[in-house]
Amino acid sequence: MPKQLITLIVNGRRTEVAVEPRWTLLEMVREELRLSGSKEGCGTGDCGACSMIVDGRLVTSCLMLATQVDGRDVVTIEGLAKNGRLHPVQQAFIDTGGVQCGFCTPGMIMAAKSLLDRTPSPTLEEVREGLAGNLCRCTGYAKIYEAVMHAANAGK
Amino acid sequence: MAQETEVREEEMQREYRNVGKPVTRIEGAGKVTGETIYADDMQLPRMLHAKVLGSPYAHARIKSIDGSAARQHPGVEAVFTPADLPEYKKNFSNRRGVIFPDEEVLFYGQPVAAVLASDPHVAEEALALIKVEYEALPPVVDPITAMEESSPLVRSPLGDVDRSEERGHVTVGVEQEEAEGKPSNIASQMNFKRGDVEAGFEQADVVVEHTWRSAVVHQSYIEPHSTVADYDASGELSVWTSTQAPFYIRDELSQTLGLPENKIRVTATEVGGGFGGKIYLQELMVAALAMAVRRPVKYIMSRKEDMLAATPAPQAVIDLKTSMTRDGKLTALKSRVVYDSGAFPGAPMLPGCLLVGGYYKCENLDIQGYEVLTNKVSVGALRAPGAHNVTFAIESHMDMMARELGLDPIEVRLKNAVEEGDPLPSGQPYPRIGLKQCLEAIAESEVWGRRNRERGTGNRGVGLAVGGWLGGLQPASAIVCLNSDGTINVTVGSADITGTNTSFAQITAEVLNVPLEMVNVTTGDTRTAPYAGMSAGSKTTYTVGRAVKLAAEDARQQMLEIAAKRFEAAPKELEMADGVVRLNGSDEKTLTFQRLGRLSTNFAAPFPAVVGRGAITTRKMAPGFTAQAAEVEVDTDTGEVTVLGFAVAQDAGFAINPLSVEGQMQGGASQGLGIALSEEMMYDSEGRLLNGNLLDYRMPTTRDLPPIEAIIVEVPSEEGPYGARIVGEPSIVAGAAAVGNAIADAIGVHLTDAPFTPERVLRALGKL
Repeated sequence: MPKQLITLIVNGRRTEVAVEPRWTLLEMVREELRLSGSKEGCGTGDCGACSMIVDGRLVTSCLMLATQVDGRDVVTIEGLAKNGRLHPVQQAFIDTGGVQCGFCTPGMIMAAKSLLDRTPSPTLEEVREGLAGNLCRCTGYAKIYEAVMHAANAGK
Repeated sequence: MAQETEVREEEMQREYRNVGKPVTRIEGAGKVTGETIYADDMQLPRMLHAKVLGSPYAHARIKSIDGSAARQHPGVEAVFTPADLPEYKKNFSNRRGVIFPDEEVLFYGQPVAAVLASDPHVAEEALALIKVEYEALPPVVDPITAMEESSPLVRSPLGDVDRSEERGHVTVGVEQEEAEGKPSNIASQMNFKRGDVEAGFEQADVVVEHTWRSAVVHQSYIEPHSTVADYDASGELSVWTSTQAPFYIRDELSQTLGLPENKIRVTATEVGGGFGGKIYLQELMVAALAMAVRRPVKYIMSRKEDMLAATPAPQAVIDLKTSMTRDGKLTALKSRVVYDSGAFPGAPMLPGCLLVGGYYKCENLDIQGYEVLTNKVSVGALRAPGAHNVTFAIESHMDMMARELGLDPIEVRLKNAVEEGDPLPSGQPYPRIGLKQCLEAIAESEVWGRRNRERGTGNRGVGLAVGGWLGGLQPASAIVCLNSDGTINVTVGSADITGTNTSFAQITAEVLNVPLEMVNVTTGDTRTAPYAGMSAGSKTTYTVGRAVKLAAEDARQQMLEIAAKRFEAAPKELEMADGVVRLNGSDEKTLTFQRLGRLSTNFAAPFPAVVGRGAITTRKMAPGFTAQAAEVEVDTDTGEVTVLGFAVAQDAGFAINPLSVEGQMQGGASQGLGIALSEEMMYDSEGRLLNGNLLDYRMPTTRDLPPIEAIIVEVPSEEGPYGARIVGEPSIVAGAAAVGNAIADAIGVHLTDAPFTPERVLRALGKL
């Protein structure tokens, strides 16, 4: 299938990628850019494991075509840690036991970061609302709520 | 005396520096950064992607399959129909024993052919070009109908049934009766009898009799089944797969493909959720295809394929009759327990029959179990397989009887709860267990505390239930090595699905009396790691943890012996702390672990390398019990049930890592709440799954779950490391019953069918 050249910013770096029109953003990031931190759990936008931030907004990257991010700014889980230092949300997920199998974790952390960017001091109800698009099967969410509240406090 | 022992144990616990302390996962950083490699993240040179064609019928005869048009599709490397597969030892009575059926398709979505291409889109396109001619046969969908003599048969008769996988989840010395004689859809059955149930019902003041139904539910790990396989020029098969059971897969592949076990390397990649569902499934197909094309092959199930053709947990229909005297004594229990196994045997009838009569002392029992075949996907394990179905029945009954007699639900349970020495329905006595202690702990929970306060306010209610799991048993081994810089490596063969490697680091650091950071733990593959059973049946810490402790003790002894020789002293005159061995009380006679490492690894070193070995087997169960309380609000106009609070008390024996034990308790409880509220795989009359995606199959979201309160109870097991017992599974068991009892507390009616959807609530209220 003929490819199309797109230009975008991925985790702060300008990147040119030749993409097939049928590729999703997730597929491009995982298979072409070889950033495998974002996960595919369903391919239909139901689980949130593929969550990325595009132009400041949280998206399920399995439902977005790669060509749609031409000229846009994409942040994946690989873009959060800076100079080997974990982002406070990442650290909080480790510290509170919010990580178990780890497969939902990258998407969950992106959703949590997006929530805290919008609402730096969320209530428990706001956390539950903000993460409602991300499924976790291991934790029962309790320690994920703690992680987000903890990261919010650390950010103050 | 017993009290003294407890006090001493408590004091010892206070002195532990590593075990018993909450510790974050050793592999956490890789997971939060996305660096951890799961099977789908693997890329090998020349790798091909497999896509699989599923049957559009639940029951059909394949008249012909033609892959020629698919083979012509540009970019396709190979097409496999049953006739194209390499030779393997087929077993049509076993789900994993057949890659594609030669003739008879037994469930909707069953794989019948596959395409390989280097571009997965190309492989997907080519699937549509495979021409299959089917002759549709009548599907049998409902298990109760399937049991009738007049029912059409689900399939041609079974041969010998291999039940080795089931025994990995629950290991008890009971055999089930395989079906014999006239062909029927009943694959196996069993019966437990004690006393005289009819006499027991006559002595009682209250008799309750109902039928309880629960749905087919899916493990719904977020990572679908994923496997990569390669077969190299030296005749060696490598399989990287998301599994809980690498050694089990090795053994099965060896028998089926005719390769010796030393030529098979199975690597359990990081498991993105398993819950019993990732034991052994598609690995045989991927290995066979890789062997046929001599290139690496990757197969990742789509979510839909995973829901259609993996191994969900069975629905069950439980007829239960129980009775109680006025003072709350259970006098008789009679039950017919029917599990729908789907198209192949493997339903958890045995644990169901053991547990329906296994929580309470009861002199008169009659439990009859049936494992019934239907034309649905065959079932597998889901966290304490089979336990939630029967627990829903017995724990609803306990509440109903207590209510009729005006007795307190906790008091009634405490009065009858099993203790050490009481027999299971099979007659086998319980070892030391903590059921009563869990009930006492849940009574102190915040959620239960709201029971009396909330009664009568709106449509709120609080209910509770107990649950338990017996656990699996398998041999285990471990190796603990001293590195030349004094740090410690631990190698095990068990897949880490619950944080067990972190607990193994704690155990090793405890034995060697060093900070946790000095220890690292690796799960090796089946060629490099010492043997471990499957990470199922909640047994990994209980069995492998014990082997790790022995291996660390062995390493410790070797290190002390080296130091003893250097100091010309006896090993018992030495002490070990913080990475230093010293002669008791001496400031001069000291050897650091680093020095010991050098003395046992350098060129011409005077001492052999320090390699500690631990290997165990155990026949002794360490059952785990739980008591759970739910607070709910029922909207009587819409039928919606909202969980306002949920608490889990569970006996962990000794929580080596309380942080991960809590995580297991909360996670399992959330799955129990999904079973209670919303999870149900729905099939039409033709056996087709109607909701094969994560939108229509509703597992709990953050909107559904309040923070779950976890209360760790510690009644030490006899053989587990530091008293640890099984932990992973019990937490899922009681959710449906606890929520059902809370709903009854709120609206005065018990729902007999789970999940408690708005429709069922409205029906129970007589509004539909």
